[in-house]
Amino acid sequence: MPDQQPHRQCCGRCVGLPRADRSARRRVYRDALSHPGPSGPEPSQPPDPWATPGESGSPNGPASVATGTAVDASPHTLRIAGPDGERSFALLPGTRAWRGKTADPTAIRPGEQVVVRLVRGRRGVADKVWAGIGRVTGTIVDRDDDELLVDEGITRSRQRVTLPRPVINKIMVRFPRLEPAHLIDVIGLRRGELLEAALPAATQPPAVLPEQIPHSVKWGRNSDLMRGSVTWHEPAHPGEPDQGAAYPEIDPWSGCPETPAASARSSTPALPFLAIGSLLAVRNECAHAAGTVTVTTCAAIARLFSDRCLTCGTSPRGRIADLTMSSFVALGGELERACFNATVAVG
Amino acid sequence: MHALTLLRQLQVPLLALVLLVACAAKLLRLIRADWAGSAPDIGHLIPRRLRLPVAIAQCTTEGVLAAGLALTARFDGGATDAFRAAAALFFLICTSALLEVRKHRPDLGCGCFGTLSAGRVHLRTIVRAGALTGAALATIGAPVFRLPRHRSMDLLDAGLLACEIVLLAVLSPEVGEILARLGYSEPCEISLVPPEHALASLHRSRVWRKHTALIAEAAPEDMWRELCWWYVVYRARDAPAGSGGAVAFAVQVKRRRPAIRAAVVEPAAGHGLQEAVLGASGPSPAAPVSLASSTDI
Repeated sequence: MPDQQPHRQCCGRCVGLPRADRSARRRVYRDALSHPGPSGPEPSQPPDPWATPGESGSPNGPASVATGTAVDASPHTLRIAGPDGERSFALLPGTRAWRGKTADPTAIRPGEQVVVRLVRGRRGVADKVWAGIGRVTGTIVDRDDDELLVDEGITRSRQRVTLPRPVINKIMVRFPRLEPAHLIDVIGLRRGELLEAALPAATQPPAVLPEQIPHSVKWGRNSDLMRGSVTWHEPAHPGEPDQGAAYPEIDPWSGCPETPAASARSSTPALPFLAIGSLLAVRNECAHAAGTVTVTTCAAIARLFSDRCLTCGTSPRGRIADLTMSSFVALGGELERACFNATVAVG
Repeated sequence: MHALTLLRQLQVPLLALVLLVACAAKLLRLIRADWAGSAPDIGHLIPRRLRLPVAIAQCTTEGVLAAGLALTARFDGGATDAFRAAAALFFLICTSALLEVRKHRPDLGCGCFGTLSAGRVHLRTIVRAGALTGAALATIGAPVFRLPRHRSMDLLDAGLLACEIVLLAVLSPEVGEILARLGYSEPCEISLVPPEHALASLHRSRVWRKHTALIAEAAPEDMWRELCWWYVVYRARDAPAGSGGAVAFAVQVKRRRPAIRAAVVEPAAGHGLQEAVLGASGPSPAAPVSLASSTDI
């Protein structure tokens, strides 16, 4: 099965600067321009999504999260190797783990990528561990028996997904058309370059590319807040920032959208245009956790999904942001649940 | 009896009007090539390569039927009844197709009036198509339509026509969409204004002329769009490349007379960047989010 990426553009106007530098500089320039001049008005204040009347309880801050490669997992300790060296985490009797399904933490194998959510207020104590979890979201470009080749958009490499016999029926309930040109979104166990699908992460949209169902998130109709689904993605490459968000509506001239700018002009976007370096204030409506994330890349494929998140209640249709695994977990998301219902404000 | 005859006669201009509006809406959609951003409709039931030819054929059929009904309205004969029978057959096919779509693919829209028919197929839409079929059948063999000579008949005509139009409006989910569009102005955050427009506005502005002497290169170092503003950054004349010293402009996303602000940002020794606002005009771009109850992650 061929695994070639026809073109991979940089979205967000490549200017030769590393992405993190560019985000930081853009913030400085924007702050300078927001500074009220001698006769200028005060800078406008962004809406505060947490001040919504009638909400129950104030949101929690983000949880602490550690990521790395598992070195050793014993009944009481998990050792992982991260960019800052090795770290050990205590495993309590109530510590949960996910490895293709709910599992005992001792099932974690050395060498697997792990995401560890820590117990609030207790450093070094693991609350939940995800081992080897991966996700592929995109358009099927080829199928060879039980293996799919999936295009994840212009900013990411193509992914190979295998559909094991025991789960293929479960996946086909939500994705009945596992054929080229149809969309797929599955969560599973990462085995090197291959993702072994374990469960569907969404429901297949009725349309195929490039048609799409309009978002029911409509910016500016009632308020400046966006309510919808927030999902997560795996890092596209090893150097990708641990925290951040991919955003679907980076301006169409930056090379992000799946559709060229010329045809994108004919349709009205559902979300406001933002750039690399913009800030999103995200509130997880299910876990009542909130935090601010920086837009680090574009979510080209998220534009094609107009699904609802059903983690707690029914969200409006449309994916607002696609977080990194760390940011998603820090905001109270459960990776195997694929999404959380969210309210997002733009800064 | 007279009212019934009048009612049959009135269906002809009404059917012609409905077909003409449907044809115009589809033509507009074809001209704008508005396929990518619109909701999936009944056309998605046919293979992709045939969608455009079928859409053109449907639009042409509606246009020809509308013209035929209008032009033959004042004549008797085989051609007149042929157009009326064709219109009846057309609406009958539409009714059947809508029934099938509602039953088997409830996620699809009807596409009857182009992008206005974005929602799912309502029961009202099917009733409307059925009523139009009945109206077209009623016109077959109806007497020639003549303009009324007496004021009382004129009022009866107008009343019946108004009642029919109101009935059609009640049966048309598209009316709500039209009213929503009329009362909706596009927020600047989602307005599609190309970067070339922002650069042209900037280069014509007084703020630009005031800062030209400080700019080292003609091409911007960075440019991005965020909410209602385009940001354009030029390297400052005395700043080394990559140091961050720059002249930054914010151009409002607006077709005419956008507000433009400027700031000179200087590299500070050992402290990254330090900004110094030299000149600013117009509304200020939004400041970054600062939420007491949230934390950067």
